Amino acid sequence: MRIIGPDELIFGVDDLDACRTFLLDYGLTEVERTEAGGSYHALDGTGVTLRSRNDPSLPKPLPTASMLRKTIYGVEDQETLNQIAAELDKDREVVREADGSLSCRDDLDFELGFRITTRKKLDLPAEMINSPGAKPGRGPNVIGANQDAEAKPRTLSHIVYFVPDMDRMTKFYIDRLKFVITDKFTNTGPFLRPQANFDHHVLFMIQTPAYMQGLEHLAFHMQGPTELMLAGSRMVAKGYESFWGPGRHKFGSNWFWYFNSPLGTHVEYDADMDLHDGEWVERETPMSAEAAQLFLFENVEKWSPGGPPPGKKD
Amino acid sequence: MVAGRPASRQEGLTVSAAARRKIEPREIAEPLCRFDDLVDGKSRGFDPLGEGRDTMFVVRRGDAIYAWRNHCPHYDRARMAWKKDEFLDPSGEQIMCFAHGALFAIDTGECTLGPCLGQSLTPVEVELREGAVRVKGIYEPGFRR
Repeated sequence: MRIIGPDELIFGVDDLDACRTFLLDYGLTEVERTEAGGSYHALDGTGVTLRSRNDPSLPKPLPTASMLRKTIYGVEDQETLNQIAAELDKDREVVREADGSLSCRDDLDFELGFRITTRKKLDLPAEMINSPGAKPGRGPNVIGANQDAEAKPRTLSHIVYFVPDMDRMTKFYIDRLKFVITDKFTNTGPFLRPQANFDHHVLFMIQTPAYMQGLEHLAFHMQGPTELMLAGSRMVAKGYESFWGPGRHKFGSNWFWYFNSPLGTHVEYDADMDLHDGEWVERETPMSAEAAQLFLFENVEKWSPGGPPPGKKD
Repeated sequence: MVAGRPASRQEGLTVSAAARRKIEPREIAEPLCRFDDLVDGKSRGFDPLGEGRDTMFVVRRGDAIYAWRNHCPHYDRARMAWKKDEFLDPSGEQIMCFAHGALFAIDTGECTLGPCLGQSLTPVEVELREGAVRVKGIYEPGFRR
């Protein structure tokens, strides 16, 4: 089943203006803005759509604090949409929307959509590094440190749900939508990737009580660690609240930096995630601070050694 | 800013040791702000120990002020605002944790919806003296390090 990953996340929020400002500062591009809300895209056209909480066009909310109203997955082709419809028609209502997409609910009532992906194929350079013993990533006179680099999110990377029944949800995504487990935190949840995406995870789940169900975070891929640091530093400078990071995860190997947001979820920058194919054998470990990260840093104000030589007054 | 302080020769610290210097709990002699500096119906964050992050916040409603630690009970020492001084939901009627959208009563600190339902914020005892808002008693550091 050739599902690629989340193309679009739709939110029903309390403060459209604050959410809009946050997403623009985060680095997404506004592609639509009306009285009803707006859409904010990464470079490949994946992104976030904002509506007011009470917008009648939105699917019903979860009975929790979560503002996520719909997760729309991109798939490769019509054949995949047909397969999904045939599979999910067996035990639930699958709505055929006017735009050709499908809408339904998963086994724990998260609203899902499926459409032929609207992602643009990106042809962009990776972060280029120079490493002794390796062919130079940047040739002579090509500068690596650019304070003014754009640092735009490239593509919607992954989402993480709080779920009251991790086993039931895992079974749904594996048995019905043919996702694959790459790694697992025991008693916390699995990292999942769909068939048409090698990324370590596009979906991770965390077992919680029912009253917590919702979106823990969403993440976009950046060019590399340097753009991640640059974009995150700019958020801190604008007064946004860094929640966790910068650091590097172990499972998935992705660099991370999480921020609080007026969308009531963490919004993460990530970079340089592992890829896996069918040959990969899943790993499992108990969740802990040690298991969650290779290392963790905290942003501080810029500082440099300097001043007068030791012993001099000025 | 701790990391920016030159190493003290008297204390015999290197710069890196100074940067890692543990911040001890202590009484806060200086006031947080003037009461009149607080905007009615708004929240404001404070960093009484100079840790580099706001570790508490105050909400003013009319003549009353409510002070809470900037810790969501959902995760250990989780920061709550989405931007400097933004601790309230858009209606201004409740405290909101912008990590996952949990809502709290401004006056009691009780979580009414969200991941820490049934738990409460940690109060900070403050007093109003000669027009200034002051923290009472020993204040504990709150920043992860």
